[in-house]
Amino acid sequence: MSIIEKSRLKSPWLLHFDTGSCNGCDIEILACLTPRFDIERFGILNKGNPKHADVLVVTGPVSKRAKERLKRLYEQMPEPKLVIAVGTCACTGGVFHNCYNIEQGIDKVIPVDVYVPGCAAKPEAIIDGVITALGKLQKLQEESHKKKGAK
Amino acid sequence: MDWWVLLAIQIAIIVLAPFLAAILLGLDRIITARMQNRVGPPVLQVLYDFFKLIGKKPMLLNRPQVIFAVLYLMFVAFAFVLFVLGLDLIIIFFAAAAGSVFLAVGAFTVRSPYSHMGANRELLQIAAYEPVFLLALLLIGIQAGSFNVADLYAVGDLMILLPLVFVALIAVLVIKLQKSPYDVATAHQEIVSGPYIEYSGPYLAITKLGHWYEFALMLGVITLFFNSDNIVVSIIVKIALIAVAMLVVQVIDNVTARLTKERMLKFTATFGIIVIAANYAIIVVLQNVGVI
Repeated sequence: MSIIEKSRLKSPWLLHFDTGSCNGCDIEILACLTPRFDIERFGILNKGNPKHADVLVVTGPVSKRAKERLKRLYEQMPEPKLVIAVGTCACTGGVFHNCYNIEQGIDKVIPVDVYVPGCAAKPEAIIDGVITALGKLQKLQEESHKKKGAK
Repeated sequence: MDWWVLLAIQIAIIVLAPFLAAILLGLDRIITARMQNRVGPPVLQVLYDFFKLIGKKPMLLNRPQVIFAVLYLMFVAFAFVLFVLGLDLIIIFFAAAAGSVFLAVGAFTVRSPYSHMGANRELLQIAAYEPVFLLALLLIGIQAGSFNVADLYAVGDLMILLPLVFVALIAVLVIKLQKSPYDVATAHQEIVSGPYIEYSGPYLAITKLGHWYEFALMLGVITLFFNSDNIVVSIIVKIALIAVAMLVVQVIDNVTARLTKERMLKFTATFGIIVIAANYAIIVVLQNVGVI
């Protein structure tokens, strides 16, 4: 594993976007940043800037208004990037399922890597979601190495 | 010492110094975390961030943005190289200052209002700390009788004669390291990251490397304050001086909230200049009395 690939797993910078959530999941994400949960020990920083971010953490069902913004934020993030849907609403639409102003979960708009269910999702579950996403990235990196080796 | 041994040491310092500065910044993050009752990231975290950024897909808005980022890196690295070669302190100061200005110009080349706000604040920061920094270097030069860094390393008693200049340099270091209360340009929660906001991936990594060289240069200036014929004592005291300066900056960072840019300008300029002037006045009085 090259030094860059190792560093990718050690330094995921987050961008948090609320697509119309009730703020329940957002509070839990902010709780992750507090000394009690201290996500900085995994190298995670909350960046608030798509151009610096590696992981897009989305909460809430996607409202029709937020859809375009979500797409644009996703497109502004440089590759490689990961998307985590936090909370039941972000995964499927939750209680807002089939509402006239709601897309059914964020995977209808952008590709999602990890789903963290819960209403609201616990901080432990959110941290686990980020680590799972990094595990997925590691697997992808290893697979691409194998493909290169096979060639 | 043979000339090639000296050259090898100088090249090693020039190449390794930014990475040592990065490790020091990693330690800084751990100590900050411990002050906040957290565990904190690994020591090499800042390097992980750097290598991750290099590996990201390049996305640029326009070419001048990248050119100015590279110019920023080149000028501060040039200043550091001059320092390691033991050349003129005033040239070093102007090269580093030009580098900082290029960072602000690079931020002006994009249309993001946050980037412009950050660039304006960056220029204000330069207006706040550069006069203090220049006066500090001038006083060091006057006291040592030379502006050549190589000569300055032969002078032993700068810390005893210029303790207040050291205090003024800590005020400069707070701004240079983007720490509270005067991290107005990069103000994370306010204007996200100011001049760096539109840089991404490898281009952000270039500005990071530039920042490490700037930091290494500041640490180099701090090591001027104590020299001894005994090289072990000399190195230990130099490291102790750096540790004291960093700890003071960290404590200031953790016990203060961000103040406005006007307060930064007023405080840093007046505090720095008064403290340095007081130091010079004391030296002049002592010289007239005949103590030194």
